[in-house]
Amino acid sequence: MAEIRELKSGKPGKPSYDVAPRRLAAIVVGDIAGYSRLMQLDEEGTHIRVKRTERELIEPTIAEHHGKLVKTTGDGFIAIFDSPVEAVRCSIVIQQNLVGRNASVPQDYWMEYRIGVNLGDVIIERDDIYGEGVNVASRLEGLAEPGQVYISGGIYEQIKHKLVCGYESLGDRKVKNITDPVRVYRVLPDVAAFNRLRRRREKVLIFLLTASILIIAGGALWYILSQRSGRTADQAAAPTSSAPRVAPKPADPPSAMKQVAPAPAPSPIPGVKEAAPVPPPAPAAQQPAPQPSPAAKTAAAPPAPRPSALVREPEMVALQGGSFSMGSNDDTSERPIHRVTVKPFAIGKYPVTVREWNACAEAKACGFTASGKDEAPVTNVSWSDAKKYVAWLADTTNKPYRLPSEAEWEFAARGGTQTKYWWGDQMQPGMAGCKDCGDAGAEQPAKVGSFKANAFGLYDMGGGVDQWVEDCWHKSYQGAPTDGSAWLGGECASHVLRSGSWKNDARYVRPANRDSYDTNVRYPTHGFRVALSP
Amino acid sequence: MNVARAIPLLVLLSLFASPAHAQNKPAPKDALLYFVWPQNGAVIKGGFWCRFGLRNMGVTHAGDSYPNAGHHHLFIDVNEPLNPNEPIPSDKSHMHFGAGQTEARIELPPGKHTLQLVLGDADHYPFNPPIVSEKITITIK
Repeated sequence: MAEIRELKSGKPGKPSYDVAPRRLAAIVVGDIAGYSRLMQLDEEGTHIRVKRTERELIEPTIAEHHGKLVKTTGDGFIAIFDSPVEAVRCSIVIQQNLVGRNASVPQDYWMEYRIGVNLGDVIIERDDIYGEGVNVASRLEGLAEPGQVYISGGIYEQIKHKLVCGYESLGDRKVKNITDPVRVYRVLPDVAAFNRLRRRREKVLIFLLTASILIIAGGALWYILSQRSGRTADQAAAPTSSAPRVAPKPADPPSAMKQVAPAPAPSPIPGVKEAAPVPPPAPAAQQPAPQPSPAAKTAAAPPAPRPSALVREPEMVALQGGSFSMGSNDDTSERPIHRVTVKPFAIGKYPVTVREWNACAEAKACGFTASGKDEAPVTNVSWSDAKKYVAWLADTTNKPYRLPSEAEWEFAARGGTQTKYWWGDQMQPGMAGCKDCGDAGAEQPAKVGSFKANAFGLYDMGGGVDQWVEDCWHKSYQGAPTDGSAWLGGECASHVLRSGSWKNDARYVRPANRDSYDTNVRYPTHGFRVALSP
Repeated sequence: MNVARAIPLLVLLSLFASPAHAQNKPAPKDALLYFVWPQNGAVIKGGFWCRFGLRNMGVTHAGDSYPNAGHHHLFIDVNEPLNPNEPIPSDKSHMHFGAGQTEARIELPPGKHTLQLVLGDADHYPFNPPIVSEKITITIK
């Protein structure tokens, strides 16, 4: 501190007065919103991130816009520019880049700058600037919402016809210790780009609507024709006739439509007609169309057994719900065993596959394109990634797709049993993919449906990939809901994983086993399956 | 196949095969991972806050591949050697702190337990050389 005072008192290198240290400049003041909260959360991490942002974003952006970084404070910076246009442009670039950087971290850890820009006469010294202009800029910064750029009237007058973006006048504001009120404007993001985006979206939407109407027409025609041939192969193959809680596999389409897809016909965007009887042993061969691109060939391909659709929906199994004992005494996290009643719902027959995931990635709604075989379960998915997928699926199909609750998952995994594994109390080969279940070491797990289905006709409920559920992590069932709903609230930095993975041992295959993981972190064994409310 | 043709092929193959380590991110030689708390030999009653210390490297969110930064993993009663060619396992004895946590509330059954910290990179792989702490033994009363 003493050093700084010395520096400011101008000891080293007194400003020579013939250099005329006053000049007019556009002053940019930036400051991290909620810095002390961030420091409290993670001091070391925050410090590193701030320094990194300064090094990788702030400094180069200022230089690119011909500005000069005057100084950085612990949580902010001050820069001066000859040109107000460049100053505002630089501020926008910084804000937009930060949005991108924040996208990968949980909201609690977001680093958002407030930025104020003012035009003023300043005194320039080696390592600092002074003057009312600087004070006004920093007051503007204080007024700004996190992630926003506020500019003064002086700047606005200079840039209004030169910089293509929106400005919102916030009127005259009285600011602390400044006599005259300051006219304040909020800079809106690039309006032109926003409009362009909206127009493009509208076009795509109209195209999709037309395509879907064609598909509905084709589908209805096919449906009427196929109903006469009345295939029943699926009913014979499904191992469900003895399980009372399972709805029979969709042998007759009308009933299945009721359970799985509440209102497919009037919906503007149709999904695949999942009611179509598909022989369960061949999940890989069920959809000949390789990618559900928006330019789907509608009903033009006659050899296809059913019309291709916009979105390939995961195959669902409708469950009638019921009561069961959730938990076990094998691990403290699984206690206490408690009675839970689950309402009717449908759950994915398999975990979401690479192919299904990539449809979402192609639609730019999911964060990354998964590699691997089409029929392998998608992996390296964070809870937030999984949520994005179900949101996209629900949106494009207009059906209430979601993640299952933890109770629903265990109910479905048990398949009506109370044993250690769904097939009994002893490990048996061929039932699940795990480290000591007989199949290990592969880069990614076997394709979905490689092991036996449980009594509800569900595959890979235990082993294979870890599966995210909706619930926040709680270290035991103390206080858990008993109505089958997801248990939210509490410290929700991590969420619940079920099933265990192909890298875990047999203990993790148990339907009662539960694990947790950070909400926003990807890990190579984590996947998920979807659920659907009736 | 004649030998002259086989040699480049072998060289190529060995390039891909041998340096599995090469994919592990380099770590500074002076990086130090250690337990701030508990200390080796500590006797603790009930649950405790385990605090992780790291010098000459930074802690970051898993998925961020900035040089010289990683995230913590806590191994509880793990005896298998660390495999540098695999992501650090995730199960009840390999705890992950991918959000950049530097401490954790740990609850263990009474008895002796070993604890060890391992730093992982953006993809949960150990660094090269692996950044691991001393393996400490604690007793829960």
